[in-house]
Amino acid sequence: MVEEKPDIINAAPDADAEVVISIRGLTKSFGDNEVLKGFDVDVRRGENLMVLGKSGSGKSVLIKCIVRLLDPDAGSISVLGQDILTMDQDALDHIRVKIGFLFQSSALYDSMTVKENLEFPLRRHWIDKGGQNVDELVEEVLTAVGLPKTRDMYPSELSGGMKRRIGLARTLILKPEIVLYDEPTTGLDPISGKEIVELILKLQRTYGTSSIIISHDLHVAKLAANRIALLHEGRNYLEGTYQDLLASDDPLVKKFFIFM
Amino acid sequence: MHPAARLGPNAVGVIAIGFIASAMRYLASLARNVEPKSGFSAFGAEVGAIAHFTGRFFTNAFYPRFEWRELLRQCTENGYRSLPLVGITAFIMGLVLTVQSRPTLAKFGAESMLPAMVAISMVREIAPVITALICAGKIGSSMGAELGSMKVTEQIDAMEVSGTNPFRYLVVTRIWSTILTLPILVVLAMGISIWASWVGVNIKDAVSWDLFYRQVFESLEFSDFLPAFIKSYFFGLAIGVVGCFKGYHTLKGTEGVGQAAHSAVVVASLLIFILDLVAVQITDFMGLN
Repeated sequence: MVEEKPDIINAAPDADAEVVISIRGLTKSFGDNEVLKGFDVDVRRGENLMVLGKSGSGKSVLIKCIVRLLDPDAGSISVLGQDILTMDQDALDHIRVKIGFLFQSSALYDSMTVKENLEFPLRRHWIDKGGQNVDELVEEVLTAVGLPKTRDMYPSELSGGMKRRIGLARTLILKPEIVLYDEPTTGLDPISGKEIVELILKLQRTYGTSSIIISHDLHVAKLAANRIALLHEGRNYLEGTYQDLLASDDPLVKKFFIFM
Repeated sequence: MHPAARLGPNAVGVIAIGFIASAMRYLASLARNVEPKSGFSAFGAEVGAIAHFTGRFFTNAFYPRFEWRELLRQCTENGYRSLPLVGITAFIMGLVLTVQSRPTLAKFGAESMLPAMVAISMVREIAPVITALICAGKIGSSMGAELGSMKVTEQIDAMEVSGTNPFRYLVVTRIWSTILTLPILVVLAMGISIWASWVGVNIKDAVSWDLFYRQVFESLEFSDFLPAFIKSYFFGLAIGVVGCFKGYHTLKGTEGVGQAAHSAVVVASLLIFILDLVAVQITDFMGLN
């Protein structure tokens, strides 16, 4: 299980580290509703970037554009040095294997057991994982998320926090270089939420993943984020560490910290 | 002549023009990136979207990677598990048609025509259409609900971001399964309904199976069987496409799942009748009626 970890602010990233995700001038509208209006951000290797914003500000739209679940109207997105918006379907599927995505709803396949959920991406993208067979890999990721005894259970038999962790295990099994977390703690009790945050930190340290964490939860920002980008009115309003934002005199930033 | 055939070949042309106009309306709405709101435009957009979805199926249907295991699972779900329902319905249809036709034929002293009449009715029209309608209810609704539920709980998105093509895995396998299994179910329904007709005849008369069987097959021609068999492939395509389309494009959460299941049955049933009408026109044009 994950070790107990008090409130520790994740250290600021190495400014010279390689950029793994680069977003420039991202624009996305739904009808007349312009959600993203030229959003820019970089994510460096090994860092957790948190995108903070109000509900409905376009945070989820942003990460769905990164994996091309949504096609932006304008702008560019480069992932691991490749322009994701111009690549064909085969190339896109290939790079998607390197990007894990944790859905807010966990999105487990409800007709499959936990084991089948974990095997599904693995069997379809079989890559030699150092001689390990499928069963060993399933055991490894279930142990990593602290749920080794759930392999034969169905998603309907799991609690919200357990579903979120199994969702994370399914993401991890392909050993992605980048993980995108969509509201990872929303709807969870404080203890389960903290366990998820600790898992995010553990994955960052153990697997060296780079992440974008979408949330409006400042506790997540405090514990898990190396850097925070504030998404406001479709743009990257402000960027910095948790301490930078805490010390900021900007009225909008102060509004976010009012309950901290 | 079949009653529907009296509409004349113009009916096919009118339907075809309607479909083309609707598809163009859909493409225009895509170009404007807006959802058509008025009733007629929404209908046109729906028809165009289904046509587009069907085209997408054909572009993926013959292209590897083939999902054999999922296809087999779907054939079992949609074909094998529909067999009891289709069998019972075919038995009842054959029996009821025989029992209800008998008094009318008896008035004209034509009771001996009963096996031929039931066989031709069943093979040409009733077995394919009733089987297709039952499958539209059972399979279409389950596809709409299952895919709709997967859509609103982001399971389809999860599949896509894991690098799996959900259209090929979920949609192509389901449509292929209905295309492949429906003709088999139709042939079984034909056989069961003819056997049920023999049971119906023997309620009042004593007719041997050999004699009944001979009368049935003397009245049937290959041209009775072939159009029915061919159109059942198209019925299978319609059920699969509509069920998957409705589920795959579900919106509005759990309410949308119910709507997807319900509208899959309604639209698939309507399409079956339209396809039947087109099939009658074609067989009439080819002199097979």
